[in-house]
Amino acid sequence: MKNWGVFLLLPSLLFGQPEFFGYFESEAATMELGTSNYTFGFNKFRLDVESRPSDNILIGANVNIEKFWGKTSWNIFDFLPGYTDSGMELIENIRDTILVDNMYMRVSFPGADLTVGRQQISPGVGYAWNPTDIFNAKSLLKPSYEQTGVPAIRVEIPLMGRTILSSVVQPEDNWKNSTKQVWFKYGLGAFDFGFTLAELQQPSPTSILLGDAFNVKRTLTGGSFVGELFGWGVWFEGAQNTLDTLVTFTPLGPASSLDPLEIQIDKTYLEYALGVDHTFDNSIYLLVEVLHNGFGVKHKSELRLQDYLYSLSGKGNSLMQDYAFFYAMHPTFDYISLSAIAFANFNDNSSAFSPMVDWNVLEDTNLSFQGSVFWGDDDTEFGLQDWGLTINVTSNF
Amino acid sequence: MTVRIALLILLSFTYLLSQTPTGTEIIDRVTTIMSPENSFSRGTQTIITSSGNERVFEFESWAAEKGKSTLTRYTKPAAIRGQAFLMLNNADDIWSYFPRTKRVRKLASHAKKQKMQGSDFTYEDMGGGDVFQKKFKSTLLAEETRDGELVWKVELLGITEQDPPYPKITLWARQADYFPVALDYYDEKGFNTKSLVLSDIEMIEDYPTAMTMIMTDNKERSSTTMRTLEVTYAWEPSEGFFSERNLKK
Repeated sequence: MKNWGVFLLLPSLLFGQPEFFGYFESEAATMELGTSNYTFGFNKFRLDVESRPSDNILIGANVNIEKFWGKTSWNIFDFLPGYTDSGMELIENIRDTILVDNMYMRVSFPGADLTVGRQQISPGVGYAWNPTDIFNAKSLLKPSYEQTGVPAIRVEIPLMGRTILSSVVQPEDNWKNSTKQVWFKYGLGAFDFGFTLAELQQPSPTSILLGDAFNVKRTLTGGSFVGELFGWGVWFEGAQNTLDTLVTFTPLGPASSLDPLEIQIDKTYLEYALGVDHTFDNSIYLLVEVLHNGFGVKHKSELRLQDYLYSLSGKGNSLMQDYAFFYAMHPTFDYISLSAIAFANFNDNSSAFSPMVDWNVLEDTNLSFQGSVFWGDDDTEFGLQDWGLTINVTSNF
Repeated sequence: MTVRIALLILLSFTYLLSQTPTGTEIIDRVTTIMSPENSFSRGTQTIITSSGNERVFEFESWAAEKGKSTLTRYTKPAAIRGQAFLMLNNADDIWSYFPRTKRVRKLASHAKKQKMQGSDFTYEDMGGGDVFQKKFKSTLLAEETRDGELVWKVELLGITEQDPPYPKITLWARQADYFPVALDYYDEKGFNTKSLVLSDIEMIEDYPTAMTMIMTDNKERSSTTMRTLEVTYAWEPSEGFFSERNLKK
């Protein structure tokens, strides 16, 4: 599953009249963190190729080339409230990458679609958070950005009407360690409903710090709906999760000065997102979404190192339990839209506000300016940072 | 003698009246002629803003059940290539697909009022079917001549309980074949917000087809021209064509 796909897919990709497209993206950012100011950015080139050797077969692949500049070496502890003055160091170096992000083949049979290979999988109906998405975590400042590909086998079976049964398996070295998820979706009137079951082995919260390969088994039972009530779009996505192992670690090496790390997490927890959106007559689009994550920490005083590390690893949807996300957009001028994102952590009373100008400069080129201001005590999730500014240009071809 | 003449005049007048269709009858005919059972078309959408900037989009569109179900997929420009919209039940149910995130999203009905790719057409404007029949009360206002052709001028007043897309529309349809050639859209204050002109009408597979449609936004002084590059009414949808599965292809 790792590399053989490249050899299998490449000939078909090249001989099936491939289409090439993609984009170039350049971003520059600056931010104030504590008493320090940092500048950094990246240049990214994404090349997609799609080929249809026959009506029923689609082969797709893309390569991402990313070069980073400015500050590329970060001390993780600078981002952990309460640890910024600890003098501890855990350095994360961001390196230039050339990555085959997706490479897949989709075969459409009369009664099913089979997709094999590294592919983007984005389940769920939430905008900022997807509690049923076991493959990705979103950035609150860029919730609609593309997700990294997942090596998987996916089968989608359309049943009657708007009913779809789909399953995804992300194979590992054996079936037990493989990630499995099944979705059953159906439409009823103005609503789409979904039910899902999943099982996966996910890295322990200590893996960043210790580099250990210890996994925790997680099972998920969830559901979603999306529809309309009183002229407003409404959606819900939630899941009951079970983690079946608790382990205590004594750190070794550079982290040996720390106390033993204990994964003291509830065996089961509930996570859900609830959202509404509406377009007003004056063209203002408004979206509000709230998240409750039972896996998160309820009080600031209870936060431990592993909670931060687990959150930073992108495996959890949030550090703490209760959040709200707001998005508003207005197409104010010709090809210029003004928008703003705001989010808040209700458990530590920190928040962020991020206004944005998005300008479609040329037909395929967008220029955006995104500012961000943060509020909260220095030992809170969002209050740690003061402000930031990002300029992004993306040109598609 | 006088009585006979009066009777003759009355009969002639009644006969003439009986030849003049009512507003409802005209809209019934308009709906019929505008709603072929199935269609596939390929076209361009050119947006010209008030400042004169121009953007050109290309799309493919499929429709079935007299416009009740439609699927539109953009093919150009590169920034939106692959974006697709599935509209069922006369655009009461809309799903969008964004290839960059590979995500299908169900849109609530308020999204129907959003501009399609920043154009002067809303999703609702693109929805076909029997919207004029179901959501409006039609009244014939006058017979007029427009561009040298005799046309019916019909007023459509929205039926509030039916959630009409506009409070009022004025429509001009050719008397010869009931094909609409112009529509004016009004807001609650009675302002003519948008105007649509249909032209280059060609007979394609027994259906009159407007190869050019220009929507003008009278408030923002912008316009969008939809040009049909290719159209056929002989296309037949396969089973499950108008589905989330096909939206993602």
